Amino acid sequence: MRPILLQGHERALTQIRYNRDGDLIFSTAKDQHICAWFAHNGERLGTYHGHQGALWTVDVDPTSTMIASGAADNTVKLWDIQSGKCLKTWDFDTAVKRVEFSEDGSQLLAVTEKRMGFLGTIVVLDINRDVNAEQSGEKVLVITCEDAKATVAGWSYMSKYIIAGHEDGSVSKYDAKSGEQLDNRQVHEPDALVTDIQWSSDRTYFITASKDKSAKLVNVDDLEVMKTYTTDTPLNSASITPKKDFVILGGGQAAMDVTTTSTRQGKFEARFYHKIFEEEIGRVRGHFGPLNTVAVDPQGRGYASGGEDGYVRVHQFDKGYFDFTYEVERQARAAQQM
Amino acid sequence: MATKTVASNRPDWADDDDLDDTVDALPQGTTTTNKDGTKTIVSWRFNDEGKKVKTTRRIRFTTHTEKVNPRVAERKQWSKFGLSAKDAAGPTSDTTSVGENIIFRPSTNWRKDAKEEKTEAGSMKDKLKDKKVKCRICNGEHFTARCPFKDTMAPVGEEGSADPAAGPADAPEAAGGLGTGKSSYVPPHMRNGGNASAGDRMGGGKYERDDLATLRVTNVSEMAEEQELRDMFERFGRVTRVFLAKDRETGLAKGFAFISFQERTDAAKACEKMDGYGFKHLILRVEFAKKAA
Repeated sequence: MRPILLQGHERALTQIRYNRDGDLIFSTAKDQHICAWFAHNGERLGTYHGHQGALWTVDVDPTSTMIASGAADNTVKLWDIQSGKCLKTWDFDTAVKRVEFSEDGSQLLAVTEKRMGFLGTIVVLDINRDVNAEQSGEKVLVITCEDAKATVAGWSYMSKYIIAGHEDGSVSKYDAKSGEQLDNRQVHEPDALVTDIQWSSDRTYFITASKDKSAKLVNVDDLEVMKTYTTDTPLNSASITPKKDFVILGGGQAAMDVTTTSTRQGKFEARFYHKIFEEEIGRVRGHFGPLNTVAVDPQGRGYASGGEDGYVRVHQFDKGYFDFTYEVERQARAAQQM
Repeated sequence: MATKTVASNRPDWADDDDLDDTVDALPQGTTTTNKDGTKTIVSWRFNDEGKKVKTTRRIRFTTHTEKVNPRVAERKQWSKFGLSAKDAAGPTSDTTSVGENIIFRPSTNWRKDAKEEKTEAGSMKDKLKDKKVKCRICNGEHFTARCPFKDTMAPVGEEGSADPAAGPADAPEAAGGLGTGKSSYVPPHMRNGGNASAGDRMGGGKYERDDLATLRVTNVSEMAEEQELRDMFERFGRVTRVFLAKDRETGLAKGFAFISFQERTDAAKACEKMDGYGFKHLILRVEFAKKAA
């Protein structure tokens, strides 16, 4: 496969998101604009300007009409995808590290940083799905994380729970209506912060990536670890591929150590693991720095990775990817047909 | 489902830029359809220096039809904004490029495949890893120069048994060890009790005798081989040595050779007969070798 290189940012990438149809890619980096790209040919649709600080996060609503972004200038902004106009700005006390739309796009959650005496919070905002309508500035729900700040969070199926990953390697489950903490489980090693949470297509389970060099597949209902993928490098991002039972992990040693080691040692590769058998099945090279984020096309046609090197690499899977099956899978399929 | 047609063109085969000095109105661009289905498009423009530039492009159009969701098709028609507001349709080269081809084939034993590549690079290292430093005095695992017994004991083996892995560190020590058993310097001709062995001195005994029956052959063809020369000169008597100078890199002869005979009379005969002999399109020049200065 021939990757498409997108050079829209001057600084390290922080997050990449596909929209639901998989035709648009949104990328944020530590410079101050968001880029929108066409996934099929890498053409840039446009850029969104207005933030005054490093952008940490972006998310697309399910209908691909609006995107939300969170930045180090303590704001969350809502944008019209088509025109690039900013629709609404919410102010917070600290930087916003993660935003995510609920499954139906009617709510948005934002994870704020613990800094300057403020505790880390998870804030829920109401979103009016009409682009032209006035957006409310009210914070519907504020969950304060007293013990360990939340680093990432997301909505479970039916927007029933909010799942958050914490800096102490634990994962907790909150009721999305009341904000009450229902469960907290030490999924990763203590002091290994959870760097990413991404959902399966039905949002009943999710994958976490952590600095403890492992990624785990966790069930929403009881926060049970179903699968563990162990690597030899701290992970920054993990993603579950639709269509094929794979997961893609991205990482590399911390950006500050990169200059003292060679690219070969750096392990700046996207790693593919089999979701069920927990076995590594391949790697994709290309980045000159650690991978900060990986995102999979929801239609399963490809994936994109963003690195500390400022590049987004968009890959379209080829036939070998779709043809790959384990011997037991082939046997099971043959038995089914008989 | 809506159908959208995307026309993609092959990469530009060649951009012919012809310069023209006369500055006047630009000629009309032309488009001609070639027999093989390609189109030749000629366009004219002025470059930064005000010169007229003719650009000829041959393009083959291939139509590639893709069925997409109407929502997706509609989004493709959206106009660009932000930093891309002025970009033309299609990807622009300053933000989008195509990377080198990556072969990605999932496999259960990919790690083994990758390892094979690795071992080739690391093979030299592996080879040297097993080599151990061995002292020639006490056979211990250290350089001879570092041996605690170096002042009191003579080496175990003779001078030829030097361990290659011992490296250059033991070279000066070897000299001392051969001399008196003390670590003082002994000049080469004084070693082995002062009996200079054959070959120790350049231009010494053996060569002096040799030069009497040695011929220098010049103007030898590049393609010459030692065996050919030997065959030619053996007609006159017993040849003890043939030396053909060859280039170290190309392996071709440099154009001169030395032939040593056992008997000086044979050499004199060969010198007389072979001087001016035609060999591989060149005329050989044969004379007695001069003594090395």
